[in-house]
Amino acid sequence: MKFDVIVIGAGPAGSAASLLASKAGLKVLTIERGPEPGSKNVSGAMIRVSEIAKVFDTSNLPAEREVKKIKLMLSSKNGDVSVEASPLTKLVTVSRLKFDKFLWQQAENNKALLIPKTTALGIEKDSSSYKVITDRGEIEGDKIVLAEGVNSLLSMKLGLRPELSPESTVQAIKEVYSLNKEEVSKRLNLSSDDGLAWRVISNSPVPYAGFLYTYKDSISVGVGIPMQELIERKIRPYEILDEFEKKFGITELVKGSSLREYSAKIIPEDGFPKWRACKEGIYAVGDSIGLVNPLVFNGIGPAIISGSIAGTAVTESWSCQKYVSELYNSREIKEIAKLRPIESEMLGKGYLSVYDDMITNLIESWISGDLSEVSQYKSQFPSMIKHLLMLWGSMI
Amino acid sequence: MKIEEKLYTLRYKRDEIPHLEIKDQMTCKKCEETYGTPQPCISVCPANVYSWINGKIVVSYENCVECGACKIACPFNNIIWKYPRYGLGIALRYG
Repeated sequence: MKFDVIVIGAGPAGSAASLLASKAGLKVLTIERGPEPGSKNVSGAMIRVSEIAKVFDTSNLPAEREVKKIKLMLSSKNGDVSVEASPLTKLVTVSRLKFDKFLWQQAENNKALLIPKTTALGIEKDSSSYKVITDRGEIEGDKIVLAEGVNSLLSMKLGLRPELSPESTVQAIKEVYSLNKEEVSKRLNLSSDDGLAWRVISNSPVPYAGFLYTYKDSISVGVGIPMQELIERKIRPYEILDEFEKKFGITELVKGSSLREYSAKIIPEDGFPKWRACKEGIYAVGDSIGLVNPLVFNGIGPAIISGSIAGTAVTESWSCQKYVSELYNSREIKEIAKLRPIESEMLGKGYLSVYDDMITNLIESWISGDLSEVSQYKSQFPSMIKHLLMLWGSMI
Repeated sequence: MKIEEKLYTLRYKRDEIPHLEIKDQMTCKKCEETYGTPQPCISVCPANVYSWINGKIVVSYENCVECGACKIACPFNNIIWKYPRYGLGIALRYG
């Protein structure tokens, strides 16, 4: 049996591609290495509902809590600065297994077929179609969507992308603590079903980003650390997570709860447009081409957008040139592409840590009525202006 | 809480064939001479899959959380990294 499209991976990007292609009447087969969609996926899991709604019906979205408050904290040896804000757009937290299954269901309702517990090992080109070799046998298809996630072994094998390097990768680890619903609200000072998210930038003991999200009856916390820092300073990722939990009172916050899950994921800080997203009827999407927006911590939205573009590409047999330009034309993906230069400066050259130090120091001195500290950062001003301009450039 | 206790929270079905392998132990020795201990793969692994015992890297692939960090961190590209077969390995509930 031959399929019009074989989608590799049933995460958000793969499900979006499967949905669009099956809606257009194509015969779609999706293979997923996990026992069910979402079972191998990890993320902070806060999503922007408006982005999901561009592709999927969100009326029965399995949201955990709507995030009504975001707390941003900067922490350095000089002290801590925190800001609280209410999001302007609808943000909700989701548990990935439920969420990914919900997305996949919509593709399935349009007759896309799923084979779980199956890993794609290779792709071979026959005269007019492709043969996908899996650990359970071979399948034939006219076109391929690669939605493999960050460890996209096939995309690498096909020469679409290189392996990531420690300088361009963030190691993230996460814990989920379960508490009853009332207790989550009480401990985080939330009214009933409301949700809260924390974003923390710290540079001690190494530069890292921390997060906290509230689910219905659990709290998820985690850290993302530049991989190079772990290697150079010989620190383990879970030591940073422990530090984060102690320093920000999370250890106290989750006292008496039980740890329900421990997971990890690497985050690519490199990718499209440097990596190729396409090769003769093979279209790569989502994390496989590094579509994570580091500025707003968003990977699921861009994954879905790129998946839907690939779904149209396979339906209309787009050339690679057309596919790449359509990716680039979407606001969400263009922003990621434009942020690449500043991203590598912040991560690779350690500016994140420098600015974290500077901002906390300046604010602490300012509220103490002493601005003499400003002169200490004079030498940083040219680079800061450069980075602000780069940031500006990626926004317009 | 020890990392090994944290790993107990995971649903895991073991593939009898290891999905992680070391290409050449001599390269690990060279790595230890160049980078000292812990070597890069040991530093980045969130699940203590790798340990340096009696001058050899020991791989406890059963603990692997399938993040992919080790294959990137290894400066000698000395780790054969695959996915566990047939959907084996971890299965997350929250993700």
